[in-house]
Amino acid sequence: MNGWILAATAVLGAGVGATVWGVATGPLRRRVVAQNLSTALACPALLLLAQGYDRPAYVDLALVLALLGPVGTLVFARLLAGELAGDPPRARALTRSAAGLGAGVVLALCVAVGPSRALLKLLVVGVLLVGGNLLASRALSGGMAGARRG
Amino acid sequence: MNRRRTLLAVVEVAAWWAALGALWLVFVTVVDPLELAVGAGVAGVAALAARGARRAVAGW
Repeated sequence: MNGWILAATAVLGAGVGATVWGVATGPLRRRVVAQNLSTALACPALLLLAQGYDRPAYVDLALVLALLGPVGTLVFARLLAGELAGDPPRARALTRSAAGLGAGVVLALCVAVGPSRALLKLLVVGVLLVGGNLLASRALSGGMAGARRG
Repeated sequence: MNRRRTLLAVVEVAAWWAALGALWLVFVTVVDPLELAVGAGVAGVAALAARGARRAVAGW
């Protein structure tokens, strides 16, 4: 057990645990936001675990999640566009908190890794994670015309 | 297709190939000749797909 694994446990337990609760309960607009946040929080946890176990190859899991998580949310945004149009989700503070957590974790890992190709990979994962989730969150709240056409 | 459009298409695919090949090199754990060869090959296929996707979305 080291600090990285401890931080990953905290993110998984408090963050992903809370999103599982959010997905399982409450109105639709809360569930879709929680679904979006679940990947936004699981990805930093996987990055922290990769560093904690000193296995850089595990970063690939976070990379795949950072890419496919927002794509999954976009599918939900499109399929549920009708239901969400009347009661759009508003979770700006939560989305920004999750994006800030992701950016903070990536920055901390970049400092720990030092200048190398691994740092570039972390930066790509960070951009995909933060950018993807902000985009997906915007699509959920009806900010993108394309998501409404479905 | 005239000469200018052909040249533009080749430049675009080459740009995609260079960018995607660089991304491959960032993602692999160890850079060796085999990885370079495989990366160059898949980046070429992905570059063609990227141009196709860009044209499908942009419509030109």
